[in-house]
Amino acid sequence: MNALSQLGSAMLSVLEPTSLLLMIGGVVIGIIFGSIPGLSASMAVALMLPLTFSMSSSLGMNTLVAVYIGGISGGLISAILLNMPGTASSIATTFDGYPMAKKGEAMRALGVGIVFSFLGSIFSFIILSFFAPMLADVALQFTPIENFGICFFALTMVAVLSSGNMVKGLLAGMLGLLFAMVGMAPIDGTPRFTFGSNEMMGGFNTLTTLIGIFAVADILVSAETIGKGVETIPVQKVKGFGFTMKEFVKWLPGALRAALIGTGIGILPGIGGSTSGMLAYVTAKNMSKHPETFGQGDPEGIVATETANNATIGGAMIPLLVLGIPGDGVTAMMLGGFLIHGLSAGPLLFIKNADVVYGIFAACIICALIMLIVEWNCIKLFVKVLKVPKHILMPLILVLCAVGAYATNNRIFDVQSIIVFGVIGYLFHKVKMPTTPFVLCFLIGGMTETYLRRGLMSYKSFGAFFTHPIFDVFFAIAIGVIGWFTFKEIRGNKKAG
Amino acid sequence: MFLKKYGDLIVSIFYTIVSVAMLILASMLPKSKVMAIGPDFMPTVIGILTLALSVILLIQTIGKLRKGEEVTGEKDNSDYKRVLASLILATIYVNILMPVGFIISTLLYLVLQITVLAPDDKRTKKDLIKYAIITVVFTLVVYFLFRYGFKIILPQGILKF
Repeated sequence: MNALSQLGSAMLSVLEPTSLLLMIGGVVIGIIFGSIPGLSASMAVALMLPLTFSMSSSLGMNTLVAVYIGGISGGLISAILLNMPGTASSIATTFDGYPMAKKGEAMRALGVGIVFSFLGSIFSFIILSFFAPMLADVALQFTPIENFGICFFALTMVAVLSSGNMVKGLLAGMLGLLFAMVGMAPIDGTPRFTFGSNEMMGGFNTLTTLIGIFAVADILVSAETIGKGVETIPVQKVKGFGFTMKEFVKWLPGALRAALIGTGIGILPGIGGSTSGMLAYVTAKNMSKHPETFGQGDPEGIVATETANNATIGGAMIPLLVLGIPGDGVTAMMLGGFLIHGLSAGPLLFIKNADVVYGIFAACIICALIMLIVEWNCIKLFVKVLKVPKHILMPLILVLCAVGAYATNNRIFDVQSIIVFGVIGYLFHKVKMPTTPFVLCFLIGGMTETYLRRGLMSYKSFGAFFTHPIFDVFFAIAIGVIGWFTFKEIRGNKKAG
Repeated sequence: MFLKKYGDLIVSIFYTIVSVAMLILASMLPKSKVMAIGPDFMPTVIGILTLALSVILLIQTIGKLRKGEEVTGEKDNSDYKRVLASLILATIYVNILMPVGFIISTLLYLVLQITVLAPDDKRTKKDLIKYAIITVVFTLVVYFLFRYGFKIILPQGILKF
């Protein structure tokens, strides 16, 4: 019970008024950065870092944690209301969140998203508090080979996503892979498909691609019917968080599954929140008794993604604190912040600075709670956005998209590419091709190749991959998934034809 | 109706062309000298898979067209004029953003784009003034919020301050 008592005393010091005020401020700033695409949680942390210099180390770290947590969860607001993922983690939230908002259930969607974000974070922080050192050992066992296994498995999820019209779904995925190939090849840096353009060397940025394919495409789609009259999206008022206790209990098993996926992916460095949200979404769809409602505005889709992407935070803190390995951009910034405040992350941390570590854990939990309260109180404010008539709202969104794309890397090329991806998204809509496989493949394609080639570099032959049991498991499941869904598809086609 | 009937056909032909082009380009990439697979490996695999899938889709589609399955559904009464105009405006916008600068190009783009999208009965003088005010306020708020709040200087172009 040592961990529990440490956590308790840390909780008391975190709850001091100054610290509490700073954390509320941090969460609010994080949410603002998170909800605007192009402004990421890592930028928020980077901007706040100098402000924490003059604070005591524990106050400084609490503030940084607050910004980080707010930044990850803020993405759901723009994802649900505007179909524009504010951060890469909330991509999958748009799949069901935006359809729900269109049906007038924006408040309900936000309520579900916020509550399950909170639950996901809390779940992962509990895991973090009690099992961090143990889990870090497991994460160390992961070589590029195991990571390749996971990525390969994630790629085969495209088959699940596109069941019903598999060929077109897979083709959509292939285009995603193709775009992921543009730029410098991993390891050797050979330029591929750049057509001699320097801008293309850097490849397409993840967030700008997504902004294009979701938000810009959506603007074009709505331009088709907008002339028929002034349109605003209706908003139904809801009581409480917008769902009943019965629904909550029904969603809980799915949320637990998503939380496990999120924490698990978070622990592995380099894969990140966007993948965990997507994977949790696909798993939820696959396990559901009514997969056809996914993508049409099913709250269970939001439950899965929001639980998972927030659970990734706690997961990602494990290698960060225990091994000093940052998993992505945000955690790298956090590591920098921790170092400035005199905390050296690494295996000795839990022995030498246990009080600081539990201080961070306590701050995480309190910040998640603040996030819940702040966002919950602002739902009414957020949905006001939908009151703006569509013909005014849509152009404003496009400008924000352009600004967001520019702010990501200060490259005008990124801004131009949102239009290209917007057109792709629009054409996909016209020929009835799903965009989700495209997004999944685009996200994971590059990673898969990197891990495959790294693995081959250190182990020489592909045969050696099979001596790794974790890889074997993922590979076997992946092959099983492909086989089963191909079989189902062929059977379905025969029945139809 | 054209897209509904021939959509899949166009998709499969498009993908066939893309995959062949990809295979050709991939074959021109250098092979790795130190390990079994080089930068050409993934593109080649993707190219082959895409080619196979598009051929399957082509066969399926031709089969369906032969059978002469009736294409049912509502008439396509999408307003392509607005779609096309929006696309052209957005394309111009992203291309003048750098040379002309954020403020001027956004002002121009927003007023035009809102007017293009506005329903026909919402283009009176009063509405246009409203759109202009929204545009000016929004553009300036975004610019200064980014400049002073987030410390990101958006393209300044010809207006430097």
